[in-house]
Amino acid sequence: MGVLLGTLIGVLPGIGPSGTISILLPLTFKISPVTSIILLSGIYYGAMYGGSTTSILVNIPGEAASVVTCLDGYQMARQGRAGPALGISAFGSFIAGTFSVIGLMFLSYPLTKFALLFGPPEYFSMIVLGITFVTYLAQKSMAKALITAAFGFLLSFVGIDMITGKPRYTFGIPILLDGVGILPLVMGLFGVAEVFKNLDSPETRAIFKTKLRGLLPNRQDWKDSGRPIVRGTLLGFLIGVIPGGSSPLASFASYAVEKRCSKHPEKFGHGAIEGVAGPESANNSAFGGGLVTLFSLGIPPTVVSALLFAALMIQGIQPGPFLISEHPDIFWGLVASMYLGNILLLFINIPLIGVWVQILKVPSKLLHPLILLFCIVGAYSIRNTLFDVGMMMLFGVLGYLMDKFDYEPAPLVLAFVLAPILEQGLRQSLRLSGGSFLIFFNRPLSAILLGAAGLLTISYFFFKKQREVLDVKDENA
Amino acid sequence: MFRQMGSEAIGSFFWLGVGIFFAIEGIRLNVGILKNPGPGFLPLIMATLLVLFSLFILIKGLIKSKTPLSKILWKKQLLAVVSVFSYIFLLEFVDFLFSTFIFMFILFAILIKERYRWPKVLFYSAAVALAAWFVFYVVIRTPFPSPRLISIWS
Repeated sequence: MGVLLGTLIGVLPGIGPSGTISILLPLTFKISPVTSIILLSGIYYGAMYGGSTTSILVNIPGEAASVVTCLDGYQMARQGRAGPALGISAFGSFIAGTFSVIGLMFLSYPLTKFALLFGPPEYFSMIVLGITFVTYLAQKSMAKALITAAFGFLLSFVGIDMITGKPRYTFGIPILLDGVGILPLVMGLFGVAEVFKNLDSPETRAIFKTKLRGLLPNRQDWKDSGRPIVRGTLLGFLIGVIPGGSSPLASFASYAVEKRCSKHPEKFGHGAIEGVAGPESANNSAFGGGLVTLFSLGIPPTVVSALLFAALMIQGIQPGPFLISEHPDIFWGLVASMYLGNILLLFINIPLIGVWVQILKVPSKLLHPLILLFCIVGAYSIRNTLFDVGMMMLFGVLGYLMDKFDYEPAPLVLAFVLAPILEQGLRQSLRLSGGSFLIFFNRPLSAILLGAAGLLTISYFFFKKQREVLDVKDENA
Repeated sequence: MFRQMGSEAIGSFFWLGVGIFFAIEGIRLNVGILKNPGPGFLPLIMATLLVLFSLFILIKGLIKSKTPLSKILWKKQLLAVVSVFSYIFLLEFVDFLFSTFIFMFILFAILIKERYRWPKVLFYSAAVALAAWFVFYVVIRTPFPSPRLISIWS
């Protein structure tokens, strides 16, 4: 069900996997933790598969990670090669998805041993690096991303202080003692805001009319795509492991690598199958990489894994180094479901491409009232109080305005989820050191992590011009 | 006047206000000392960072090229927000099926802009309300507020 829903969401431009997972989070209250995490993960990697369909056939990416697929995928469709483009994207995603599950299976457990070396200073420094990475990769401006991240941290402070038990920013409102809920926040920022944006300019979709024949790539296609799939898979997985390394970044990085490795870089942007195979593999592989960090360190590296983190927390399960040993059913259940899910997606995507194309014709004006209704009922069912619905609408308006003023919501959500770990790490470290900040630099691992964060910030200013050139290229694409 | 300032300056004013508010409240919460940081310690740091970054954007927005503010069509969004809050209010008095039908009717009426739209609006609203009632009320059994006035099904 998760992968089917994910593919559907990936196909329909607009709401995206983060929005869908946010909207469906309240439904997971009624199902077991294993089932809920399988459902939500399935939505995400299903969306990764489905997103390529719209990129190739409509030149509109279903979700952010498929933006780069538009460059060559749509050109292939225009040349009458939509079939091989869709085929190689599905096969590449399958290979990468399967590899990432194997990586998750073999890397997570050894990494949990490594995570036990982490003390409060290391956790603090790791979060600082993660947030720096997310803001560094912000599409608009690093300063704006830092603003939203700081606001995300501040929002998480609402409620009872975990060390002193003193209420913070509650203003005498009893319901605020529980803090700002992650669900009204994400449902507002990703679900309601998306509906508001669509009220401004309902998107129109012109489907490129082409006959979908020969979905199976030929021998030459496989020869051209083999290495890009392998490189994309490895690169995507490694990027996924790094805090902040998301699927969109993996697909962009893979495209850049393929263009550089190619003997005919001039073909890129004009229908090169390597430009589809590499990025589509990378974005699927990155998800598995991200899960490694979530399950071993208990740190969600991306917004989607932050939502999975929230789903586990809602079920009373603390993600971290002890998750695999304490809840093996969740970890192994997810691993098994991902094997199965990837196989299912291969069989769903290729034969059902005609159905997905038909679904693309559903007008967004019919979908958005439904999304809003889902959000309202979902927000209400958290605590059966209309206060949460009000909070969600407030965040919906904020998300809409943030979009208008070019602020991204991802750093806000990630900071909101990571704030308790950061605060605990900082306060405990200062107590341990008797108030000295040197504790963060005296411990080697912490110093390396903070050093990496510092280097990233410095490099932002060095490479600002190159980033601007890339941004312009992306916009033109 | 606001439009002339550019979107960066306007946005940063908002964040500046939020930052100052959280900083003042953070100080009130007890910042503590470095050896024993209090509940206001990290909030004050974060609020100060928020103020500093907002000032950076504000100054940059005032000095450098002014990004024009994207057009915000308040009317539709306001209607949607009002209809959501009316829906929440209505749920207290009228049951889920009926209030959802009214809510959907308003939303579809805002979104569907065709010449003969009313039969479509009626049909979609009724279909969505029935489907939502079946899913949320019958299958998932979401505990909605008990209606004080009109109840069709419950």
